Amino acid sequence: MSTPAIVGNPLREPRIIFRRYAIIAIAAALVLALGKYTIVEETDWERMGSAAEIASTTLDFLPDLAFFPETFLPLLETLLIALWGTTLAVIMAIPVAYLAARNITPHPWITYPLGRGLIVLSRSTHEIIFALLFVSAVGLGPLPGIMALAVRSVGFMAKTTAEAIENASPGPIEAIRATGAWPVMVFLYGVVPQVFPIFVGNAIFQLDINIRRASILGLVGGGGIGYMFAEVMQNLRYDRAGTIVVGITTMVILGEFISNRIRNRII
Amino acid sequence: MALLEVVGLSKTYPTGEAALKSVDIAVDAEEIVAILGLSGSGKSTLLRCINRLVEPDGGSVVFDGTDITKLDKPALRKARRHMGMIFQEFNLIDRLTVLENVLSGALGVTRTWRGVFRAFKNADIQRALELCERVGITDQIRKRADQLSGGQRQRVGIARALMQQPRILLVDEPTSSLDPKIGREVMDLLQSVAKEAKVPMLVSVHDVILARNYSDRIVGLQNGMKIFDERTASVEAESLDRIYNIAS
Repeated sequence: MSTPAIVGNPLREPRIIFRRYAIIAIAAALVLALGKYTIVEETDWERMGSAAEIASTTLDFLPDLAFFPETFLPLLETLLIALWGTTLAVIMAIPVAYLAARNITPHPWITYPLGRGLIVLSRSTHEIIFALLFVSAVGLGPLPGIMALAVRSVGFMAKTTAEAIENASPGPIEAIRATGAWPVMVFLYGVVPQVFPIFVGNAIFQLDINIRRASILGLVGGGGIGYMFAEVMQNLRYDRAGTIVVGITTMVILGEFISNRIRNRII
Repeated sequence: MALLEVVGLSKTYPTGEAALKSVDIAVDAEEIVAILGLSGSGKSTLLRCINRLVEPDGGSVVFDGTDITKLDKPALRKARRHMGMIFQEFNLIDRLTVLENVLSGALGVTRTWRGVFRAFKNADIQRALELCERVGITDQIRKRADQLSGGQRQRVGIARALMQQPRILLVDEPTSSLDPKIGREVMDLLQSVAKEAKVPMLVSVHDVILARNYSDRIVGLQNGMKIFDERTASVEAESLDRIYNIAS
């Protein structure tokens, strides 16, 4: 038997191990040190009061169950804002994905960067900022909320769809081209069936996220339960705020449960 | 003049790989021509240059008097409708049913709205059912294409190509994804459907025995060049060995 050229365990060289732990230690020390300047010094410890005071303020948030029925309508409105926002996003995402998929985009230097640019724009801006923008454009209410969610969600939907198109197997596309079909049919038969399950799965996932997003849009005038939340907080009705939190949580959990079931059935 | 006349066909891929170097082939009506060569010898490129799934850089492909290489896109699509293609990896649409896959062969001549709603004409559906019967997949027509075995999938591929009512069959390594027994069944089927439809068939293979058993003529390709072109009956073992660089 010949002697191996490598001595020791090449996966665990002491020098590399030492460097790895040194980096972790320095990073941890840095975070702790910065924490002293931000958290410790920037907190108003005087106002926080004693542990008992903290506990009693927290208890103020215990839900007021009598208020619960009043949250139903705003919760329904929130759900509808999410549903409409997602639907519009799903529709708008199709042309954007078409532009942003490298293998089918009409022009690699014009339409491709345009599609990618729209995706980045949509994904890099917070929904609250979009909501503020649309509230000033079209006024208060659910409409600017729907618009904010739609614009915010297009990026994710278009990005994942474009990637699914890029990863589609070229075989069926080639086969349909070989039949002499028009490009529309090549796309519809060669690409769409391959992308469809991913697209539907992501649309449901996006709806799930948008239910959460819709619940805070009201804070800036975008309609839904968030508006009620802002109102009761201003009136210092912490018990009602607690009720709203319970309502939102229930809705989100229900939404997740239902969307999981739909996703499992479709895919 | 032959039905298909390929003259000086050349293709160099952007990677710099010269896949075809001035290949000439003439195919007569009802002739089965085996294109024999190693992987990378240019067989697939040759077939795809004929219907321009791969754009050739030189030479001409004259099919029934029309130079395919000179056609604009709409005319090319029309020409492709007469060329049925069958693939090594079957290239079926997995999520559609067997029957829909067969019908997709008619997409070239189907109105857009019918295609969008998969509302194919009754005559096309009848024809697709007959073809399913012919290739032996009638029991499977409602199944999704991805639920079929390899041999059955290739039968769907054959039915889809026949759906075009092709005037030539371009067949790319039809048995390479199948085991030898199923492969022979598929070759038997291809041979008989080509004879029934009275159309010529160009079939690429890398198996000498398949080439000998199923063709009227064998064209040998090596590194993108045609190195022989003979009647199958008169092909000598020596010229076949040359393809595989077996010293004799």
